Amino acid sequence: MKLLWAVSALLLCCWRASASTAPNIITEPSEVVNQTSAVLSCNLTESSLPIKGSHWMHNGKLVDSSMSTDATPYTTLRLDKITHSSSGKYECVFMTDPEVKQTIEVKTLPHVSTHKHSEHGNENDKGVMVCDSHGYPLPTDWTWVKEVDGIQTPIINGTSDKYEIKSTPNKTTLTINDLSINTDIGDYICFGTNELGTSHDKIHLRVRSRLAALWPFLGIVAEVIILVAIIFIYEKRRKPDEVTDDDDSGAAPLKSNSNANHKDKNVRQRNSN
Amino acid sequence: MTNHKPEAKSRSDEAAEGPDGGWSWPLVGALFVSTSLVFGLMRSLGVFFVEFVQYFEESAQAISWISSTGLAAQQFFSPLGAALCNAYDTRVVVMTGGFLAGLGFILASQATCLVHLYLSMGLISGLGWGLVFTPMVATVVANITRRRALALGLGFSSIGIVSFIFNPLFQFLVETYAWRGALLILGGLSLNIVPCGALIRPQRRPKAPEKVDSESRPSCAEVLQRVASYVELPLLMERPYLTYTSAVTLLNVGYFVPYFHLVAHSRQAGFSDYQSAFVMSAAGATDILGRVASGWFSDLGKFRLLHLLTLWTGLAGVFIMLLPVSSVFGSYAALMVISLLYGFCSGAMTSLVFAVVPMIVGVERVMGALGLLQLIESGAGLLGTPLSGLLKDVTGNYIASFMVAGGFVVLGTLTMTTLPHYFSCTDPPSPRRRSHDDNDKSLHFELEQISRSPSDAGHRGVQ
Repeated sequence: MKLLWAVSALLLCCWRASASTAPNIITEPSEVVNQTSAVLSCNLTESSLPIKGSHWMHNGKLVDSSMSTDATPYTTLRLDKITHSSSGKYECVFMTDPEVKQTIEVKTLPHVSTHKHSEHGNENDKGVMVCDSHGYPLPTDWTWVKEVDGIQTPIINGTSDKYEIKSTPNKTTLTINDLSINTDIGDYICFGTNELGTSHDKIHLRVRSRLAALWPFLGIVAEVIILVAIIFIYEKRRKPDEVTDDDDSGAAPLKSNSNANHKDKNVRQRNSN
Repeated sequence: MTNHKPEAKSRSDEAAEGPDGGWSWPLVGALFVSTSLVFGLMRSLGVFFVEFVQYFEESAQAISWISSTGLAAQQFFSPLGAALCNAYDTRVVVMTGGFLAGLGFILASQATCLVHLYLSMGLISGLGWGLVFTPMVATVVANITRRRALALGLGFSSIGIVSFIFNPLFQFLVETYAWRGALLILGGLSLNIVPCGALIRPQRRPKAPEKVDSESRPSCAEVLQRVASYVELPLLMERPYLTYTSAVTLLNVGYFVPYFHLVAHSRQAGFSDYQSAFVMSAAGATDILGRVASGWFSDLGKFRLLHLLTLWTGLAGVFIMLLPVSSVFGSYAALMVISLLYGFCSGAMTSLVFAVVPMIVGVERVMGALGLLQLIESGAGLLGTPLSGLLKDVTGNYIASFMVAGGFVVLGTLTMTTLPHYFSCTDPPSPRRRSHDDNDKSLHFELEQISRSPSDAGHRGVQ
């Protein structure tokens, strides 16, 4: 009985010992929240395995400058300016056999932006406005607000046929049906919210009247008609002169200088002789 | 009888001689405007294609068929335009053409599918353009004799000048009014061809068949014969015209290649996008300069128009062949210089290509001759660009394409040298149409005198 206890205690100790010699990475800090810069560090403790090197991964992609073949159990990554593009999941990876890694999350406010700050829509057609977001973590909530003269009115999805909001974590789309010039022109603001806070961007919507192009068109057509009329009237005015030209040249002899109007004609006739 | 002849001659002199006839230079203005609204417009439609791709959700190739259809229709219907002018009044034909061109765009603004665009922007507008371009050019050629090349050069320079204006203008129109509104306004702009056509004076009809058929229904063969005479089909039987047409066709195979491939080739040779685009713009600027300068120089009368034309086409061919060579060595300056020279030569030759036609076929057949010329050279355009694209795909770079293109241009130049009386110093008398009618004979005699005058001026210049 005592022997059984001793053996089981020994096994337990061995097991516990092997558990306690599993590599442990201590990360400092454990997560980065809303800071402008940070130094991420990983400390590999309690590992007897040989270390061939270490590197860092950002969102699954290797950070080139962090590749190192030092056998030190300590590695750091410096982030000088943390923006939405540098936020995400950072992993420090130690090249042991097997690899060990630990994750540090770098979180920032969402970066909400739109590709087109000025959108056009046609009257009675639909207008589509899109906002998207980059960064980590992605917004969990999107809201749209319409701003007219400084007064903001929220747009709620589903209350009427007019507004449709479709949102995914990285993109939100506001579709306005049956645009009207009177009511729908204005600024539309999209808000994206994640656990740290909210960001927004603004889009200005312009509604083109269906008949907007008609006025310049009618103006040009009027100009064409006037030009053609001028040309025809000018010709009608000239035609009587030409008719008398023919009559005179038929009747008068070649060298006559009598008619002053036909001076040019006579000059030409002389040249041709 | 003797009294009437000089008077009739002076009357037609007044109608026909350029600088003296007050009505002829507004015609050049009309040519300027109508050419810009036909070819300048055609070249600037790229802005709309981006919109169409997005709206109709079709491939870029399907959309590019719109402009191909338009250009093909313009060239295909050129003989029709020429024939109608011969049969009826030129002024009415051009005004109708302008109206159709505008109508095509107006209908296009209401299009709901791609086929509508093919039919409206492609077919109807193309038909309108065909009824406008050839008659306008032929009218200017027939009405201006002493400064013919300059008039044509000024008229065609509009294409280059206007493309600088139309591209940003169309961009603005599309943004302000959406493509439908922009097309509507473009239709209105195209209608401006109608006043240009109105500037053409209503003609007496010397070419209308003089004998009135006593029978009420002309027989089928007679109708066909009449149509053939309007289209000037017998021209195809004449060796000089056939030679010239084949020469121009060969020119057209290679002429467009640099416009399509120069930018891509420059980029491939290692120059930046901006540099490549600038080379193209610079070539376009010298093109405009070349058109006007060559027109002015040719009319000084120091050389035969035909010799000058072969000079410019030969040089253009050589420069096309030199283009890839200069960029292979990586020298931007060399590429720039050769492109500028190429632009100048290609512009110089365009203003002369049509001015030479009356010397070969006679002034009164110019209308039909130009129509047929446009139709036949359209095939060359269809052949040239795909061929150069194919060569590029096969060899991997543009050197072969440019070499072949330049080769075709040089071949066209050599073909032109086989024209009868090429090596004489003065122009031979241009042929006149054989006619059994006395009235026609006297008119032809006068017109022949008129078409002889540039060679007389040339003779004086040589002395």
